[in-house]
Order: sequence, then C-alpha cells, then structure tokens
Amino acid sequence: MGMYNIYHVTKFTIKEAFARRIILVFAGVSTFSLVILALLLFSTDAMDLVGAFDMKTRVDGQLVDVKTELATGIKALFTIPLYGIGLFLSIFAVSGFIPSLLEKGNIDLFLSKPIARAELILGKFFGGTAVVFLNIFYIVVGIWVLLGLGLNVWSADFLLVSFTITFTFMVLYTLIILVGILTRSSILAMMLSYLFFFVLSPILESRGSFSQFLGETWNMVIEILYYIIPQTTELGRISLELATGTTPESLLPLLYNSIILILTISSSIIIFNKKDF
Amino acid sequence: MNAIEVKSLRKVYSSGIRQKEVVALQSLDLTVDPGVIYGLLGPNGAGKTTLIKILLGITHKTLGEANILGEDISNYQIRKKVGYLAENHKYPPFMKGEEILHFFAQLGGYDKPDLDQRINDLLKLVDMEKWRKTKLKNYSKGMLQRIGLAQALVNDPELVFLDEPTDGVDPLGRKEIRDIIKRMKDDGKTVFLNSHLLSEVELICDRVAVLNKGELITEGTVGELTSDNDEYKITLDSPLEEEFKQKATGSFAGLKCNRTKIIFSTKDSSELNSLIDLIRREEKQIMEITKQKRTLEDSFLEIITGKEGKNGDV
Repeated sequence: MGMYNIYHVTKFTIKEAFARRIILVFAGVSTFSLVILALLLFSTDAMDLVGAFDMKTRVDGQLVDVKTELATGIKALFTIPLYGIGLFLSIFAVSGFIPSLLEKGNIDLFLSKPIARAELILGKFFGGTAVVFLNIFYIVVGIWVLLGLGLNVWSADFLLVSFTITFTFMVLYTLIILVGILTRSSILAMMLSYLFFFVLSPILESRGSFSQFLGETWNMVIEILYYIIPQTTELGRISLELATGTTPESLLPLLYNSIILILTISSSIIIFNKKDF
Repeated sequence: MNAIEVKSLRKVYSSGIRQKEVVALQSLDLTVDPGVIYGLLGPNGAGKTTLIKILLGITHKTLGEANILGEDISNYQIRKKVGYLAENHKYPPFMKGEEILHFFAQLGGYDKPDLDQRINDLLKLVDMEKWRKTKLKNYSKGMLQRIGLAQALVNDPELVFLDEPTDGVDPLGRKEIRDIIKRMKDDGKTVFLNSHLLSEVELICDRVAVLNKGELITEGTVGELTSDNDEYKITLDSPLEEEFKQKATGSFAGLKCNRTKIIFSTKDSSELNSLIDLIRREEKQIMEITKQKRTLEDSFLEIITGKEGKNGDV
C-alpha cells in the first residue's frame, strides 16, 4: 500500500505542477535556449567557424582540441544560468505545493483516505522532484546532443550535471516542505529558500575571506551555520566542475547535503504527523 | 460490531503562544449501529466536525477510545471502508470530474477491475455525466457538492461521513441527495450525517445525537426527541384579562398566553379538556383549537437553549 500511495500522490503532484504553468515557462525557456544554441551551431557561418577550429592548440604547454575547449565553454555558459535561473523557477513552482495541500477542505480529503501522512509528504516530495528533474534533464540532454552533433564532443560527464542540480533542488525542496508545514505560507517558504540559496550559502562558502575580521565566537557561529545550512554554492561548484570536465575538488558537500536532506524531510514528517487539521 | 464506538473521547486544542486551551470534546460516549442513518446536531462550535475529524484521523484525540467498523482509528487502513464528504471541501481545480473520482478511488484503496463502470454509475447517480470531462474550476457550488458525494462513495464504503451534504444545492438537488442517502442505507451502508438543516435530518435520520459545548446532550430516534409533549394553540374571540391569565397559568403548567391566544403543552388530553372547561366557565368563545406538530427544530432549540422552541413564542 505504501509505495502505491506514494506513486499516486507523486503522479497527482506532477499534474498539479503542470497546472501551475511555471514549469511550462521553465520548459519554454529551456526550449528557447536550445533553439538559440542550435542556430548558433548549425548556421552555415558558424559551421565554417567551427571548421576553422578543427585544429589543436597549445594551452599552458599542453596540446588541446579547440573544439573540446569551445564545447566546455558553452557547457559552462549554460550550466551557470541553468543552476541559478533553473533553481529559481523550480523553487517558485513548488513553493505552493504544501500550503495548498494543507488548505482547509483539501487536506481533509487526503487524510480521510487510507494513506499514512509520511506517504503523502513523500509523494509531494518525489512529485516536485520528478518535474524539476525532467525539465533539467531535458535541457542538459538537449545541450549535450547539440554539442555532440555540432562539435562531435560527446563527454557523458556533462549529463551528471542534471543530477547535481536536481539534488540541490531536492535539498531546498525539503526546506520548502518543512517551512510549508510549519507556517502554511508559500511566500515564506519561497523567500527562505532564496535567502539560503542566493545569500547565506555564498556568504558562508566564502567565510575564509572575512573570518580574520571577526572574533572567535562569531567565527564559531558561522562555522556551525556553514554545516547546518544547505551548502548550495558548493553543489553549484561541483555542477560546474562536472560540466567543464574537471574532477570535483571535493565531494563532501554531497554528503553534508544528503544528511541535511534526510534530517529536514524526517523532521517535516514528524511534525506533520503530530498536526491537527 | 458497531459502525462507530466512542468512549470517553476528549479533545483539547491548544492555541497561541500561551497555549490557551479550548475543550472541543469532553469525555464523549457514542455508539452508532451499522446500517442506520445517524444524524449529529449541535450549534456552531459544539464539536461535531471535531468528532468526525478525529474518527477520520484528520485531528488527533487527546484522550479516550474511538473505533470505526471494529478497528481502532489509529489503524489508517480501516479508512479503505470509509467515505467522506467534507464541509467546505476544496477539490483540485485542475482536475476533471472523472479524474477526481479515479484519483480518490485509487488513493482510497479501491482495486477492483470494475472501477470505470463504478465511476460511470456514480456520475449517473449524482447527475454529473455530462460534466465528467469538465475541469472542477468551472463547476458551480452545487456541482462540486454532487461530485463530492460521488467521491465519498467511489471506494464502495461501508461507513459514510457526510458533513453538510446539501450545502449550496437547490431544493430539487437536495431531494435527490436525500434519496441517494436513503439508497445507501438500503444497500446496508451506515451514514453519519452532520447537517444544520434540521428538517432534512428529521426526514431521513433513524437516530439523532445532539452535541453542545463538546458534550452529548441527548440521543435517540427522531420520534423520541420530538414526542415529549403535544402542543395546542387555542384562539379566542376576545382579549384575555390579566385575572384569567394568572388563574390559567397558575392551574396549568406549560401554558402561555398572549392577547387572544393560549399555547398549551401537555401529554395528557384530560388536562386539555380541563383547560377548555375553564375557558368555557369564563364564558369565552373558542374560535379555533389546533394541534401543533412538534418539529426536530423545536426540540433542538429547547434542548440547546433550555427554553421553548419557535412555536412556543406566542
């Protein structure tokens, strides 16, 4: 019964996401970006230019393929906005899922069915994740195929970017779920996610650059915050490293964020289980 | 096996920073036999919806025991056999009528192969066949209520909770819903009905319970609740003098007078005859004597306020 219920709520959530249109906007922006890239790569002038690049050059004393370098640049060029704008739109799209579920008259319907509350939350989580993954996978595979056809660069590492970006989304989504359950406010859930993603995580990631100006206590507080707040900037760096074919400097952020994800979704389920509606 | 069995059920809500406590249900005992239409009455804030929500796992109990269909309510699997039409329900507006039935049937654990046929039958039953492909956001309040009723029945439940089922439905629709509820009973289902429309409850319920401030005030058949006393209205041709009023009210309990009318509530017809004798002795002309039918609403108001119902206001 458990997996069956989660599957149905996941399917329902995907339907809900498409009804909200923002996911379609995301897909539209992705398609537009792919069309632009295709026009650049396959227009006659550009192909001539690519032909001119069909040579090797020396970078830092090493012989490298110019086409590979061009493809790497394009991948980086797409990964950075995909990470920023893609996650921005994704957070916007899913922030209302939990508050709308908890609306009076709606939650009663779900809870009156033979479904455990944990299954309901997990269904919402997987549904939101599936929609975002499909969108991100679509644009990443699109770029990969276009670069492969246009420049004959078929580096599969780039495909992993869709997983790291989706994983970043999953961490933030657990936070949205927790705040949604606690406050029933989509605005607050969205604003907090943006605060963590765009402000706190980048500041904490660069804490080394300003720690010398702070006292011991403040540095300790910042260090604690660094480990309890989603390290999304580090995940962004790993995505970029994968996009550019560089071996990631450290995979520890994946571990830390996995722990944060599990703790946050578990807390959400425990709190949701205790709530009266 | 009882359809519903509640023992010493208590619910206390805590709200605000100071955790101010509000008692919604105080040590409630209630038993509902299977196969009946059971009405739950009470003023706003009496604890009716809280009781339903506890039984369905939407709200947690504070103390006490609650079973439905012989199982403790903590076993959520028992809700496979339960249907629910919520008050002020809010269905996903992006889904179509038939989609919502499919979705909640699957979520309700209905796994028989005849689901499509069952949905067709239910849409026909609630007269929503031609709107099956329309999104719920385009439905009127009455249409939502009809599709909500179909949703409550889609998993072929043994026990159905209906919270204000005729809310927003026109008189013809209300009659149709009443017929559907009666048919549920004929099919052996137990219906637990919460409605403000006392005339409706009176028409279809086998038993009724009255809740007030979280307490069970009374419980019984509609007949038991409405047949305490017969009430008679005696209309006279001339105004009553103060002296007569005092004499009459002093001699007969349950008597009220205004200018030309006397309202007398009694079980005993000999008392009525004695009153008529008194009126005749005073040489007053009786224009009319009518027996007032005591409604569930009269009984309800009397129970809740401890006073006479509307027919007593002369």
